[in-house]
Amino acid sequence: MVTTVGIDMGIQTVKVVVLKDRQVVARAKGFSGFEPTKAAEEVFVQALDAAKVAREEVSLVLSTGSGMDMAPYSNGTVSMMGADARAGVFLIPTARTVVDVGAEEARAVKCDERGIMMDFVVNERCAAGAGTFIEAMARALEVKMEEMGPLSLKAERASPINASCVIFGESDVVSLIHRQESKPEIARAVFDAMADRISSMVHRLGINPDVALVGGVAKDVGFIASLKRKLGLEILVPEYPEFVGALGAALTATSRAKGASK
Amino acid sequence: MKSQSAEKKYLPDMPQKEVEELNASVKAASERIMADNIERMKKTDPNRPAAMQYFDEVSNFFGMRQKEIQEAKAQGRKVIGYLCVFAPIELILAADAIPVRVNSGWYDTSKLGDRIVPVEVCPVIRSTIGAKMIDLSPYLELSDAVISTLTCDGQTKLSEILSDAKQMWIMTPPRVKDSAQSLHLWKEEIKAIKTQIEKLTGNKITPKKLKEAIETMQKATKAFRRLQDLRKGNPVIMGRDAMLVNQMSMWDDIKRWTKKTEALCDELEKRAEKNEWACPPDTPRVIVTGTPMFWPDNWKLPTLIEEATPQGILVGDELCSSDRVLYDPVGIDEWTMDDMINGIAERYLMASTCPCFTSKDGNEDRVNWLLNKVKDTKAQGVIYYVIRGCMLYAMEYSRVKKALDKVDIPVYYLDTEYTREDVGQMKTRVEAFLEMLSARVDF
Repeated sequence: MVTTVGIDMGIQTVKVVVLKDRQVVARAKGFSGFEPTKAAEEVFVQALDAAKVAREEVSLVLSTGSGMDMAPYSNGTVSMMGADARAGVFLIPTARTVVDVGAEEARAVKCDERGIMMDFVVNERCAAGAGTFIEAMARALEVKMEEMGPLSLKAERASPINASCVIFGESDVVSLIHRQESKPEIARAVFDAMADRISSMVHRLGINPDVALVGGVAKDVGFIASLKRKLGLEILVPEYPEFVGALGAALTATSRAKGASK
Repeated sequence: MKSQSAEKKYLPDMPQKEVEELNASVKAASERIMADNIERMKKTDPNRPAAMQYFDEVSNFFGMRQKEIQEAKAQGRKVIGYLCVFAPIELILAADAIPVRVNSGWYDTSKLGDRIVPVEVCPVIRSTIGAKMIDLSPYLELSDAVISTLTCDGQTKLSEILSDAKQMWIMTPPRVKDSAQSLHLWKEEIKAIKTQIEKLTGNKITPKKLKEAIETMQKATKAFRRLQDLRKGNPVIMGRDAMLVNQMSMWDDIKRWTKKTEALCDELEKRAEKNEWACPPDTPRVIVTGTPMFWPDNWKLPTLIEEATPQGILVGDELCSSDRVLYDPVGIDEWTMDDMINGIAERYLMASTCPCFTSKDGNEDRVNWLLNKVKDTKAQGVIYYVIRGCMLYAMEYSRVKKALDKVDIPVYYLDTEYTREDVGQMKTRVEAFLEMLSARVDF
C-alpha cells in the first residue's frame, strides 16, 4: 500500500489531500496568511491526524500551487496545470478540458484520457476572471461573497459590465448602482463578465468536451450558471472542487512512488 | 550630428545631474545583470565550452569593444547604428564604417521612455528612447548615423524621437514582399542608403570593396550555419550560449567574430565526438519565436527555460535578434556593381520573415521557416514570446498556432513586459509547458 500527500499552496488557502492507494483518506484546508509555510504545516498535521496516518508511513509528498516552492515536507513539485489535468480526469473520466478558477488566477487545461495535459491557457496576471473579483464586487454591493451566487440567479435580465480589470470592473459596478440596477442583476453581470473571460480562454484551446470546472470558484452557483450559458455546454463539477490541485499532486506522487517518472 | 542648440521635438531637457545619476545607476545595474547572466550560464553548464570566454568578454557593453570602437572613431572611422536587421551591413562594411545594432534590452530605461510615449507602446521602443535620454548605450552614443527601418508603428515614431539626438536614415520597407514593384522600391531604398553612407564616410563604395564586404558576411554566415547545424543533434551547447554568440555578431568586429565562432565550432565538434553534452540528451527541446530579445536584461525567458524544473533546452529561435541575423547570405551570380546591389536588395527583403509583411497568401515565409526549423532541430515545443505592445507578433499568433497544431507541435503564448517582477508567474507557465512536453513523450 502506498500512502502519499499532495499539498496545494494556493494564494488564499492551503489544501492538503492524503491518499492511500489512490483512495482519498483525508482532506484539510486552511488560510495561507502571511506565513504560508507555517500554515501549511498545520494543515498537513491536521490532514494526517484525520487520516490516522503517521508521518513515516507517507512515501512521497508533492506540492503544487503558486507557492509550491514554500511547501513543507515536499519531495518535489507538480505544475498546477499538470495537477488539474490528472485529478480532473481521475474524478470525471470523460473530462477533456479542466477549467480551474482560483482566488487570483484562472486556467484552462486540455487533457487526454490518461489525464496528461495536452495544452493550457492561463489568465495572465489579472484577477478579473478569478475569485478575488467576486470578492471585490460583493464588497461594492455590500453583500457577503457567498450570497453573490444565489442573488445572481434571481436576476431577470443581464446587464453588461467590463471585467477588463478588478478596478475598472468595480467602477462599472458603481455606475450600475448609480443607474439603480437591482442587486441580483449586478451580481449576474459580475458572473457574466467573469464567464466571458473564462470562456474565451476555453475557446482559445478549442472546445473539447466534457468540461469540468474545479477550484474554489467552482462552488459558486452563480458562476456555474453564467459559464454554462456562455459555453452552451453542461459544466461538470466534482465533489470538493477546491481540493483538485492537492489531489492531482497526491495522485502524481502515487505514480512516482510506484516508479513511474511522471 | 545636430547642434546642441537645435530645438528638440520629443526628448525632454533633463538636468545634466539627473542624466548622470540615472546613467550611473542603470549602468551599474546593467553590469551586475551581465555578470549574473554569465554566472548563471556557467552554472547551468559547468563544462561550458572554453571558447565562450571570448564572447563573454565582448558581451560587456562597457568593455573592450566599446573602447575599440572609440579608438577607431578617433582615427576617423565612422560608426553606423541600426535598429533593424533590414539594414544592409555589406554597404556599411564596404565603406569601411563600423555597423552596430542599437536596440535596447535594458528594462530600467523603459520606465524612462514612459515619460515621452504611452506605456502601451512596445517596451523595446520605450527602452531605446529611455537609453537615449540618459546617454546609456555606448553604441548608440558612438553612432554617427542610425539606420531605422519602418517595420511597425513603434519604429516609425522612434525614428522621429531619436532624430532629436541623432542623424537618422530612414528606410521604408514594402509591406508586400512578393511583387515586382516592391523589390523595385526596396532597391531604390538600398541605393539611397548607399549614397548616404558614402557621403558620411567620404569613402566611395567600389565594386572591389563591396565584393570584399559581401564575402566577409558570407563567411560569417557560414560560421553561423555551422554552429546552428551543431545544435540540431544532441545538446552540444546550451541555447543561451548560442544566442549570446549570435547577438555578438551585431556588435563585434565581424571578421574576428567569424574566427572565434569557427573556433567554438571546432571545440563543440570534438565534444560531440566524445559524447560530451551540455545537458542530458533527453532534455525537452524548445524553440522561441516572437518579439526580439536583447542582451542583457531581456535574457529572462531563455534563462527560465534552461534553469527550469524540469529543465528545457533552447535549440533554436525565430527571432530577428539572433537566429535570423545571419541566416541567409547575399547570393551573387556576377560581381558587377549592379548585380551586387540587386543581390543585397533581394537578400534583405526576400529572406526576411518579419511579421510586418503581408501578401495575398498571408505571410507564409515565417510559418514555413518555423516549421522547417522545428523539423530540423527536432524541437518538441514552441514558446511564442510577445512583449506587450508588439502588435504584429501578437496578431500572427493564431495562424502560427494553427500551423503548428497540424504537425502536433505544442505552442505556448507567453506575454510579458520589460520587467523582472513577473519572473515567478512566467516560471510557473514555462515549467508547466516543459512538464507537458516530457509527459507527452514518456508516459
